Amino acid sequence: MVKKELLKNEQIERLLSPHPLSFMKLQALSIFVIVWGIMVWWLTNSSEYANMFSGNIWYRLILWGLVLLFVGVIASLVAIQWIIFFLYLGVFAGALGLIFWQHWEKDIALFIPLYSITVSLVGFLIVELYRRSHKYIITDLRIIFKGGIFTKRERTIRYDKIADIDAKQGILGQIFGFGTIIPVSESGFGLGSDKTMAAGGVEVGIKKARLFGFAGGGKEVQTPIARSYYELHGVYPYKDVKQLVENLLQTHVPTQYQKEQIEVEKQQVDIQTQMRDLLHKQMSETPRRKVGKQTIEEEPEEEEREEENTSMKKTFIPEDIYQPAQVDIQQQMKELLKKQKTARVLQPEENIEEEIEEEDDSEHERKKGT
Amino acid sequence: MTTVPLNIDSLVGAVLAPILGVVFFWFLQLIFIEIQKRMLSKLHHHHEAFCRFTNYIGILFQTICQALGYTVTRSGIASFQVTVNYGEVQPKKEKTGVLEWITRSFLLFGPFFIPSGLVLLASYFVIGKGFVFLIPVHFTFVESLTGFVVSLSTFANKFVSFLVTIDLFNPIHVGFLFVLLFLGFGIRPSYIGEKRKEKIDILHDLMLIKDHLVEKPLYILAIACIIYMFYLLSLFLNPMVYVGFFSIFGWMSLTAIIALLITYPVLILIKATDEIRTHWKIIPFITLVVSYVIARVFFIYYSTKQDESISLLVMILSITFITILLIKYKKTNRFKTAPKMKHMRIADGKKRTSKKRTD
Repeated sequence: MVKKELLKNEQIERLLSPHPLSFMKLQALSIFVIVWGIMVWWLTNSSEYANMFSGNIWYRLILWGLVLLFVGVIASLVAIQWIIFFLYLGVFAGALGLIFWQHWEKDIALFIPLYSITVSLVGFLIVELYRRSHKYIITDLRIIFKGGIFTKRERTIRYDKIADIDAKQGILGQIFGFGTIIPVSESGFGLGSDKTMAAGGVEVGIKKARLFGFAGGGKEVQTPIARSYYELHGVYPYKDVKQLVENLLQTHVPTQYQKEQIEVEKQQVDIQTQMRDLLHKQMSETPRRKVGKQTIEEEPEEEEREEENTSMKKTFIPEDIYQPAQVDIQQQMKELLKKQKTARVLQPEENIEEEIEEEDDSEHERKKGT
Repeated sequence: MTTVPLNIDSLVGAVLAPILGVVFFWFLQLIFIEIQKRMLSKLHHHHEAFCRFTNYIGILFQTICQALGYTVTRSGIASFQVTVNYGEVQPKKEKTGVLEWITRSFLLFGPFFIPSGLVLLASYFVIGKGFVFLIPVHFTFVESLTGFVVSLSTFANKFVSFLVTIDLFNPIHVGFLFVLLFLGFGIRPSYIGEKRKEKIDILHDLMLIKDHLVEKPLYILAIACIIYMFYLLSLFLNPMVYVGFFSIFGWMSLTAIIALLITYPVLILIKATDEIRTHWKIIPFITLVVSYVIARVFFIYYSTKQDESISLLVMILSITFITILLIKYKKTNRFKTAPKMKHMRIADGKKRTSKKRTD
């Protein structure tokens, strides 16, 4: 199934999905509903405070609902996700609806814990389904992220497009060995912001001055943040996966030196193309014998360039024979050679050795050709 | 004001008695910690996450104690970091001399007493009347020691009574039991790891403490003087205070010992479940909940005076029985002492028939 989605010559390095405990934040919402439901049952039936709730049958429901909504507000503010509040509001509204619909007013004491447990079990089931909908495919070319129960979402990122990697491991992650890895793309996908707002109002002397002061402010911090289906959420074993991604990233992203080399080579190719065009032009303009002379003279010049003896070249170049444009190009070539020389000094030893070997090979081939 | 006889027994013996009591209980605590460490190190291979969890609690307690040391000495806390592998607290100002020694004392002694002190505080609200002090009359070594032991035995009696009659349908009791388990798993101050060097034992802990004390003998002398002054002062003001003060340390040690003892059955259960078939490991844990709930529901209809205790007993017996049954199933293959023929066929790949061989 997964193989169909792969590109030509693409190989799967690892197939992953989130750890069962990686969505503990969502599961905690269900755990709280269960715990609070049982607590209310104990408080209103078996505790020493049970008499307080015996006056009115609705007291229990009011206590249960108010605390549920209060915790929902606090959790929403902390997590900056108002969906938590609306979720708890839905749970409370559902309980109210069921009581009125089925006329369970007299059985509220038993209804609250049973309803809490049922709702929480449904919550656990949904979280588990959501977790199982996630699939992460790490191949040798890219990372594919998939997720979503109803709306299927997918993200693909090539290693050369990854600008940064953010990795985090919470306490549970440290204990059970899972963690989250967010690849931030060059376009900034995977970067989000944490916003905090502060506001306060002061009313001084309502009758006298009716002054009303208001102060507010906001703060925004850029932070790596992504939906669980756009990141490697709660992957196990975290350290191995992180190592793998970093290794693959290293093999695909060119280093600064390599980038410079590519740039120099591009310029070299451009100049050589210009040289060729110029020679063609000269060949078409000058008599055949003279052109032959020029080409014979050019060959030793190239060999000299390989030997990096630029001072000697000057003496052999009969500048009066060439056109001004050709001289310019030769000048550019010299500068390029100088640039290459300086680059070689900074080049790591291994690369130098490789390059020397390559140069030797090319020289050898050239000699063979001549 | 009480009359104190001027003899060696009342001036030296009575002072030493509660200190010796605290030291004894602390050593007892160390031995129980060491037993737990041994049990955990045997589990480490199969339950790495569980060991990491206990390490984390231990490191958390240790780091909190160190931070408390810096707070008490007014060094300030620049950074506070706790991970599964290590904890780190950086002070704002590095203090030297006595303050540095006090900070180090918090780090070395704190993990044994501070977390259990917090649990002791919580137990006051759950257990209630178990905190008794005896007023000394004769001011002798034996009387001081008796006073200390009576305080501790009364507390232990109440604590154990509470645990035996614990109501697991009461969320506060369940919460307290979890806190106790957390303390029990985290009270050991050293790390349980796979590598030999990381398996720090009781001797290592004691060596560290000895080095710390021997390093500054003058400080020990100063502490001894302060304790003696405190004793003399308590004789004039309230003689109960001196023994009472050390009794609190004794309660802390006792709380820690009880917490450690509670963790043993949990560790034994985890170890026992390793002997059960992979997918059946959860059955003892389900039995734990189900058996208790069934017993409690049963006692709602046939109420007795010992509902909670009997339910607990039923729970413990059920788990033991089910676990032994499952282990036996795995080891002996459906309670037969000989292996099944079917398995033997698979083992050597030959089919056996009832025909006897002619040769």
